[in-house]
Amino acid sequence: MSFELRIEHLSKTYPNGVKALQDVSLTIPGGMFGLLGPNGAGKSTLMRMLATLQEPDEGTIRLGELDIVRQKEAVRETLGYLPQDFGVYRNVAADKLLEHFAILEGITHRGERKAVVEALLRQTNLWEVRKQKLGGYSGGMRQRFGIAIALLGNPKLLIVDEPTAGLDPAERVRFLNLLSELGENSVVILSTHIVEDVSELCTRMAIINKGRILLEAEPLPAVAEMQGRVWERVVAREELPAIERDYDLLSTKLLSGRTLVRVCSDSQPSPAFHAVEPDLQDVYFSVMNGHYARRGNVLQVAR
Amino acid sequence: MTKTWEVFRFELGFQMSRVSTRIYFALFLSLALLMSFAIYMDARHDGYFFNAPIVTSLITIITSMVSLLVTSGVAGDAATRDGQVRIDSLLYTTPLRKASYLAGRFLGAFAVTALLLLAVPLGLLLATRVPGIDPAALGPLHVEAYLTSYFLFALPNAFLATAVLFSLATISRSAVTAYAGAAVLFFSAFITEGFIGAKLGKWGLAKLLDPLGYTPLHALWMSFNTLQKNTLLIPLDQTLLSNRLLWIGVAIAVLAIAHLRFRFAYATGGRTWRRTAVSEETPAIRWTGLTIPAARRVFGPATRLRQMRAVAMRSFRELVMSKAWLLVPLTAILFVSTAAEVLEVELGTPGAATTARVAEVLAAGELARMIAILIAISAGELVWRERDARMNAIADVTPVPEWLSFLGKFLALGLMLALTEAIFLASGVGVQWMMGFAPLVDLGLYVKTLFGFQLIGFLLFAALAMVIHVLVNQKYVANVLAILAYVALQMARELGVEHNLLLYGGAPEWTYSQMNGFGPQLTAWGWFTFYWSGWALLFGVVTYLFWMRGEERGLRTRLAFARRRLTRGPAAAGALALAIIAGAGGFVFYNTNVLNRYSTDAEQEEWRAEYERRYGRYASLPQPLLAATKLRVDFQPQRGSAEIRGSYRLENRSNTAIDTIHLVTSPSVETSGVTFDRPSRVTLHDQDFAYRIYSLGKPIQPGESVHVNFAVRHAPRGFTNRGRSDAVVGNGSWIQHRAEQAHGARQWLPFVGYQTSRELSNPGARRKLGLRERKDIPPLEDVAARSDPRGREKIALETIIGTDAEQTGVAPGELRRTWSENGRRYFHYITDAPITNSYAIYSARYAVQRAKWRDVDIEILHHPAHTRNLGRMLQSVRASLDYHTRHYSPYPHRQLRLVEYPSTGRGLGLTSFPGLIEYSEAFALVRPEDDARKIDFPFAVMGHEMGHQWWGHQLMPALVEGAPVLSESLAWYSAMMVIEETHGREHLMRLVDIMRSEFLAPHMTAEVPLMRTFDRFDAYRVGPFAMYAMRESVGEEQVNAALRTMLAKYDPARTPFPTTLDLYRELRAVTPPAKHALLKDLFEEITFWNLRTKKAHARPAGNGTYRLTLEIDAEKLKGNALGRERPVPMHDTIVVAAFDAAGKTIYRQEHPIRSGAQTITITVPGAPARAGLDPDHALLDRRPEDNDVATGFSPSPAG
Repeated sequence: MSFELRIEHLSKTYPNGVKALQDVSLTIPGGMFGLLGPNGAGKSTLMRMLATLQEPDEGTIRLGELDIVRQKEAVRETLGYLPQDFGVYRNVAADKLLEHFAILEGITHRGERKAVVEALLRQTNLWEVRKQKLGGYSGGMRQRFGIAIALLGNPKLLIVDEPTAGLDPAERVRFLNLLSELGENSVVILSTHIVEDVSELCTRMAIINKGRILLEAEPLPAVAEMQGRVWERVVAREELPAIERDYDLLSTKLLSGRTLVRVCSDSQPSPAFHAVEPDLQDVYFSVMNGHYARRGNVLQVAR
Repeated sequence: MTKTWEVFRFELGFQMSRVSTRIYFALFLSLALLMSFAIYMDARHDGYFFNAPIVTSLITIITSMVSLLVTSGVAGDAATRDGQVRIDSLLYTTPLRKASYLAGRFLGAFAVTALLLLAVPLGLLLATRVPGIDPAALGPLHVEAYLTSYFLFALPNAFLATAVLFSLATISRSAVTAYAGAAVLFFSAFITEGFIGAKLGKWGLAKLLDPLGYTPLHALWMSFNTLQKNTLLIPLDQTLLSNRLLWIGVAIAVLAIAHLRFRFAYATGGRTWRRTAVSEETPAIRWTGLTIPAARRVFGPATRLRQMRAVAMRSFRELVMSKAWLLVPLTAILFVSTAAEVLEVELGTPGAATTARVAEVLAAGELARMIAILIAISAGELVWRERDARMNAIADVTPVPEWLSFLGKFLALGLMLALTEAIFLASGVGVQWMMGFAPLVDLGLYVKTLFGFQLIGFLLFAALAMVIHVLVNQKYVANVLAILAYVALQMARELGVEHNLLLYGGAPEWTYSQMNGFGPQLTAWGWFTFYWSGWALLFGVVTYLFWMRGEERGLRTRLAFARRRLTRGPAAAGALALAIIAGAGGFVFYNTNVLNRYSTDAEQEEWRAEYERRYGRYASLPQPLLAATKLRVDFQPQRGSAEIRGSYRLENRSNTAIDTIHLVTSPSVETSGVTFDRPSRVTLHDQDFAYRIYSLGKPIQPGESVHVNFAVRHAPRGFTNRGRSDAVVGNGSWIQHRAEQAHGARQWLPFVGYQTSRELSNPGARRKLGLRERKDIPPLEDVAARSDPRGREKIALETIIGTDAEQTGVAPGELRRTWSENGRRYFHYITDAPITNSYAIYSARYAVQRAKWRDVDIEILHHPAHTRNLGRMLQSVRASLDYHTRHYSPYPHRQLRLVEYPSTGRGLGLTSFPGLIEYSEAFALVRPEDDARKIDFPFAVMGHEMGHQWWGHQLMPALVEGAPVLSESLAWYSAMMVIEETHGREHLMRLVDIMRSEFLAPHMTAEVPLMRTFDRFDAYRVGPFAMYAMRESVGEEQVNAALRTMLAKYDPARTPFPTTLDLYRELRAVTPPAKHALLKDLFEEITFWNLRTKKAHARPAGNGTYRLTLEIDAEKLKGNALGRERPVPMHDTIVVAAFDAAGKTIYRQEHPIRSGAQTITITVPGAPARAGLDPDHALLDRRPEDNDVATGFSPSPAG
């Protein structure tokens, strides 16, 4: 697909000295791309830059032929953006506001606009409550309304920043399905701190922390890379410090009073450990803990 | 309690740490300094201390009114911030009690406001330390004054405002409501003073009801003279104390209500009583696949237009649905319900509801001020709309260019203003319809005034408000800045900035007269406004360049954005703006400063000072006096120009020969062709100061005359900073000559000799410019002044007026001939008896109403449509001629003309010249028939002007203290007699009651005795009542005899001229010795009576008679120059009267009354219903309503 997002040497330092992004380079082809990282990793800064709302200090972002920093106007014509945290005009009905945004998105034909608005409201399951003032919407409903706006105009680049945070499980599934379907013919970038969001849907992903990209990969090969290196055992709580000291601990989980630990090791660390199938969470933790990065600075897996 | 403290501490800390708080502090500080500076100029001018205690309090109170804006921000924020940053759900679940939460937040906001207001005393103190201050304007430091100001005004006001605004915002959960509340509080001060006080005359109530205490303080200010201002602290009297306590009480009550209404729970949308409960259904998990139909997206000009419409309409809807906008319809309703009062003229007489007048009120100061505030706040709401809703990230990524968002929102603001004007228009039509003026509704005129002048002015301000909001990028701070900008523009004149090219939106005021339409100001207004529209366009470009989009708020980034946005389009618009500014500005400047002479107020003062410095030494140089004037006046109404050729006959009435003649010409015309009928040469011709000296080849011997010819040309070029001269206009030209006042735009003729009236009179201004101190008015004892004939000569006047064929020219005297020549009409007037050297000349398309009184021809020259009050005026003229000729002296002329002239506003503007009385359009249109009090106002006022045909024109007072008593007081007194004779005593009493009610309005209490007064209030109110009291006491014929003697003794052609001393002597001559004390009380001293009948009790005494017992209380007070009053023992004879149930007088007798409580028992010939002392209120009593009471009865005869 020729429509490709290319981020090169992007840096951003806030006036208070926080280095939000440091020399970030990424290439994002069509399909769904997951940006995984803890809170404060720089995800939202990157997402806002992609959404034309912030300017990098250095570096370039290109969407196909478009320069996102310089050609904001053109980018916005193909852009859909769902911010991490947003409000709505409280005293406007949902359908009225969505129609307003449809006009802003350039859908000027009345009939087509009505059709799109209706379809989106149905899609986001807000059709029944379309006449309600947005002030009365719950957090989840508001989130879905935001999605409806983001999807107006059939964006080529869709940026969704932590979209599943406020959704209940059913809504989350529904929403992610929607996103993956959109990813079939556009670039969808999903930032999240929930590993499952990425593992279930994304064709490509990156892990970001402290403003740096730690891993850029396809989820399945990344997981495959860990094959045979993830081990698990159940320990008593007081044994935990020792394990932490002796092994590359990936994660711990409480299991009926005892603790299940997963460690990363090229060989079986001790007989008490047994091998398990790695998953993306293991990849994430090992990248975050720096175990995954031993073989290179920024990892390019199965590129 | 600790929790309250915790919340309080947090709130205070949070607010104090904000940048905006510091900016507000700086703003208050500079506002106090600025106002101090403005007052300083005024104080220095008027001779009081600019740091006088009352000034300190006034500035404090005005700043605290302005601070309402900040308070609404602080309080609104404190009340709604939690909801806005969505921490509310978190907060409401902490174990925090509602009361602690609210109390903490409120106290925090209050403390912030209180601390901010400390900037005011600080600023005021700083102002006194500015180097270079005139020590004469700086009074001693009164620490108490600052403490009183802060603790009596600033702090309680902050408490009230914070309480009300915090509660409003808390209950409505919207900060905008706080703004609306602030506006209501702000304007209530003006409503209480302007309406309840000034209009309804209920000053006691007004002083109590003013929530911010402005009315009582301002009333005090009005009643203070210079000495009081400089020495007195604000007295914490009952009035002020009850006002303050009442409103602190209200504040507490409001807080209690807020506490009750506030629900400590997550705010759901909608209003509490119509909450939209939205069901939270679980969506189907089944995924149906993406089924969004493809929609075409087009980005062409048509789309831009559609998007602009969408942005504009959505924003417009938001604006007019906001609570702040409710002010507009509310104001319209308020206007409709109070229009009758607003349109009243003097003495509460119903005024005309013509379209021009109604539109003028709608466009007037208070309403415009309110709209300006609305514009500033609305601009902020528009600029911040997305960010306030936290929807900015979503809106900012839509493919809509910045210019479109900006223009769309500006359009919304324009639509809101247009809707506002439409509502005002509708309310104006409603008012006219209600008041029976429906046939006079002129929609075209409404559109021109409201949608033309006013809307354009508002749009200019809207552009300024927008650019401030976008550049400052801090909503509350920008609100305050925008409003301050508006206030500063309003105050600019006081601060010494006068040129309209420097005052954003400034232009000469538009005026409208029924006779002459918009007149000559339109062109000037248009050019100035075009010039300012260039600035507005420039502001628009700047607004676009700095329009906020995205998350980058740093100054450097915004500058970079601006540079990037400065592409060809905006650059072209900016260039166009600059071209307009330069082009129109240049043209305006050429008109105001090159074609015409531009001078500031200060420069004009300096001009007058220099005039005095240069030529003051000629003030007492003997000069010939004017004996006759011949004029040929040629009006060119369509061109706005005129030419006069004239000649004076000057007589040497001194006893020395005169060989030089000084001529003082008018700066507003070109004077040329000065020739004498004997050899002469110019020895001095000072163009700048319009002063010329001619040496005569042969001196004028005593008793000899000389003729001087001159030509005067008035041809205004272009326009000035104040517009164009409206002396000669299409319809309704008029010029004047007034001996006592040698400066004025309509006074074109040369004066002979140095003119003292051109000197600066204000003592402060004189001191400032280093002129010697002089008494404004010579003292009563100044014998030389009493005999000064200058300006008091009697002349013969011959006038030929040439004007357009369809116009009538009017001048004093008999119309000898009228003819047509070359398509123009000419009128030749000659006076039939000498007149004072004050007259006016008119030309307009007049209709004439003619009548006769004996051999006197009466003519009313009026605008054809203005026939409403002709009958009343005519009746008044006849009745006055009747009464005055019968009691005083013959009327010296064979004609009397009343002439209407074009005017705007509600000023009545009547002036009496010998044989000619001019009146304004507003007077022509008053509606006495709609006066519920049944007072024939036109009759009364015309009667007063008719009185001047005797008192002023025949009896010409010396220009010393007390002079206006001989003209104004006597003219009102004799008018009262005419009213009584024509309309009866009841009618007169009704009028007198109304006139007396003005005593209750704040006015200077520190006075000089009537004999020495020069005060307007004394002359028009106190004087006539004193004369009336004398008449009640000694009889009408006696008083009239005294006045007759005055006229007979003082032939106006001879000096010395009469003074109040002579009036006093003549009145004394007709007063029995027992009443001499009263005469002294009334004229020589300042005396108030406090007469009260506590109880009246009657019992039958047989034969239908009753024994009536009155329990009374009497007090007599003497005032002094400081306004202090002290009781004196009273030994007066005062009328005791009783009335039956029908209101008929059944007893009226003078009784000796002493000070204190006493009882009077009298026998009356019928059943008394009311009884009491001085029922006609002849004596000055500030509580006249308790003079008499209803009578109580005993059932059986006295046993």
